[in-house]
Amino acid sequence: MDPIILGIAVVNGIIVGGLYGAIALGLSLIFGVMRVINFAHGSFLMMGLFIPFWLWKLFGINPYLAVVVAAPALFGIGYLIQATIIAPLFKRERAMILEPLSVLLLTAGVGIMLDNLALMALGPDFRGITMDFSAKAFWIGSVLNINYTRLIAFLTSIAITVGLSLFLARTDLGRAIRSTAQNRDAAALCGINVSRVYNITFGLGCAILGVIGCVMIPFYLVSPSVGLAFGVRSFIVVVLGGIGSIPGSILGGLILGVVESVTAQFVTATSASIFSFVIFILVLFLRPTGLMGMKV
Amino acid sequence: MALLEVQRINKAFGGLQAVKDLSFTLESGEILGIIGPNGAGKTTAFNMIAGYFPPDAGRIVFKGEDITSLRPWDISHRKIARTFQLSKPFGDLSVLENVMVGGFHHQGSRAAARRKAEEMLQVVGMAHQAEIEAHNLTATDRKRLELARCLATDPELLLLDEVVAGATPIEAEGMMDLIRKIRDSGVTIIMVEHVMRVIMGLSHRVLVLHHGETIAVGEPQTVSRDPTVLKAYLGERYGQLGSA
Amino acid sequence: MLKQPGPRNGSLYAAPLLALLALLILPAFVRGEYYLHVLVGVLFFAYMASAWNIVCGYTGQLSLGHSALCGIGGYISTLLFINLGLTPWIGMVVGGVCATVVGVIIGYPCFRLRGPYFALTTIAFAEILRIWVENTEEILGIELRGAQGISVPLKGQSPAIFQFEGKVAYYYIVIAMLLMVMAVTLWMERSRTGFYLKAIRADQDAAEALGINSTRYLLSAMALSSFFTALGGSFYAQYFRYINPERNMGLDLSIEFALMGIVGGQGTVFGPVLGAFLLTPAGEISRATLGGRFPGLHLVIYGLVLVLAVLFLPKGLIQPIRQLFSRGGARQSAGRRAAA
Repeated sequence: MDPIILGIAVVNGIIVGGLYGAIALGLSLIFGVMRVINFAHGSFLMMGLFIPFWLWKLFGINPYLAVVVAAPALFGIGYLIQATIIAPLFKRERAMILEPLSVLLLTAGVGIMLDNLALMALGPDFRGITMDFSAKAFWIGSVLNINYTRLIAFLTSIAITVGLSLFLARTDLGRAIRSTAQNRDAAALCGINVSRVYNITFGLGCAILGVIGCVMIPFYLVSPSVGLAFGVRSFIVVVLGGIGSIPGSILGGLILGVVESVTAQFVTATSASIFSFVIFILVLFLRPTGLMGMKV
Repeated sequence: MALLEVQRINKAFGGLQAVKDLSFTLESGEILGIIGPNGAGKTTAFNMIAGYFPPDAGRIVFKGEDITSLRPWDISHRKIARTFQLSKPFGDLSVLENVMVGGFHHQGSRAAARRKAEEMLQVVGMAHQAEIEAHNLTATDRKRLELARCLATDPELLLLDEVVAGATPIEAEGMMDLIRKIRDSGVTIIMVEHVMRVIMGLSHRVLVLHHGETIAVGEPQTVSRDPTVLKAYLGERYGQLGSA
Repeated sequence: MLKQPGPRNGSLYAAPLLALLALLILPAFVRGEYYLHVLVGVLFFAYMASAWNIVCGYTGQLSLGHSALCGIGGYISTLLFINLGLTPWIGMVVGGVCATVVGVIIGYPCFRLRGPYFALTTIAFAEILRIWVENTEEILGIELRGAQGISVPLKGQSPAIFQFEGKVAYYYIVIAMLLMVMAVTLWMERSRTGFYLKAIRADQDAAEALGINSTRYLLSAMALSSFFTALGGSFYAQYFRYINPERNMGLDLSIEFALMGIVGGQGTVFGPVLGAFLLTPAGEISRATLGGRFPGLHLVIYGLVLVLAVLFLPKGLIQPIRQLFSRGGARQSAGRRAAA
């Protein structure tokens, strides 16, 4: 294996990996705060990709500008779904014994509905956008080139991660979220409106996907089926890095990105996903808390 | 030969030594009480004897057999039964069905298990609640249910973890009578308890744990006057009072 | 588990028995091949959901990888038929045994995982198998044909090789299979194994303290479930005469099995059957009428039903139906108790 080709694969893997990490942030956050495993996570990303796509297709709006629509829209959708569909389950938990898998099934149902509503409305085709500088790249040396759009996506991912960490650490709302995550009842006793925190957290997790969708669509094709693929990837990332951990999410994303990229040099892309699954299984069996995570 | 021999068992969690060099022997037909302030290591010791997790060091010998590293179900088959500090009923099963799970221990047939279960419910006085779903029971009833469930497995040694916790004085009396009845039927008992009246009233011997170490062993009367014990529970000043 | 067990209250069994009777004599009145086809589909899913239920309904774990076992059954019986001329009746059993081995081997480490992680791991294993088959043209000289799938060759209409003219024979076979798996479930539920599984599901620690080797019982349930699921896969191959990884081993199929079991009522004998009888026709109808215009409509319906079931009927559809029947019984036994 030519070391230069391997090097290129690794670099590409890192770029994509950063993106995966940012995508999985919402999943990690929602679990960390609410103990909700959101099986519909990928479906929200799918919506996050379609919004800028349609804004570009119908109105010619630059996807990077579409963020101002996509992020709040996804925040709102996430907030709404949490408040109306998932919240009742929490109320029931107080009353009687909750089946541990109920939330999983609930979000899975929501995910199935979202994916297939999109399928019904938009058809199964893959679609993408083209922009003036889509093909432009910047070169390192004479061999390695990185597409500008991918680079922007990577940098945005890092920015979002740092932004989220700062938000959680420095702002009042962030503190409220963190304390609710650590001890729901104590937080409530301190006057924190736990339901509102949950709704906001879910909305935030989805809003991140709105931003990511906008920076992804310039180089990524969208179809209703990507929801499942990214949902699965997000889970792999989160298990690798450790659920509930922000740096873990990025780390897991980077590892997954590099593994995918490197194995794709040896086998077909679809076969390569077997390796991702194998790593996922190994991590679950050998180190269930992931590299940096908290216990389930 | 002693029924149970615990030989210098130890358990540490992270940096905290929960149980240190715990040793005692238990004769058949005894009721041994284990007491100690919160965090003394009582339930940890229990969990080791019950096979819930293994000790870091030391041995546990039951009827001459080393049971130190056995899994909980094997311990159960050696005729050791245990209750849990935080009751663990099978919530969506009825009271009768709960006890039947224990009843299947020695018999494979549903009818035989059912008969055994009904018998045990009579013993603990819950026969009239047989059809109630377990998660609807009160805290004390849950403890009695666990007791019935354990008894259905015909144990020789019964480990009771705070069965009287949260009981009213009358309920506690009833539980004490029940425990005496069980002992009289030939079951040896180790009880962990906080309620002094109960443990002093029932135990033949009492073992006091503090910060994982044994600070006193002996008859209830002696132990309750032991200055080290008083100090552990009530603080330095009372310790001095005891020795006066 | 509900308080008024069926046997004491005869009326609970009357309705399903009548339904069975109706199903048995149906082909005499209904000639349309399409209707029989739909029914075979419904019964097939009732069978598969019931097989899924044997492990998942009673252990409280969620397997979303059962389609892999289905696929193993289908592929093995078909490959044995094509390459060795072995009749699928025996091939089914071989496939069943293989699936059992796979199920137990994978189940062993998996059962240590809790809730969502167990579910994710089953998805991972199933996907690994599917992707591998999809990308493998042949192995050890045996053609797998990857994503194209394998057609079961028509070698004449002979019961001996599990091939029949028309749909009627398959219809009765699948009814027989369904009755078999329901009987096994009923036997298991009333036996020690059933009690132990429910105890493990309710509280594993307490169950183990009562002498239950949880690993052994969980794996037994897994073995039983895997075997029957694989049998169903072989039936599928023989009925549709075609199998491929995407359909037979895909996540969609796994979700459908789980969905029907959950919506109908996990951990009961009739629940999964009920779920299948409700959802399969709904899916079929929506696919037939609007499916062309709106691909994926039936899945939206499935998703919606799942959400509603979790929110409003967590114990499944079987719950209100049982209460309907047991209210009569409850009055009876309350009277008996009062008289005592």
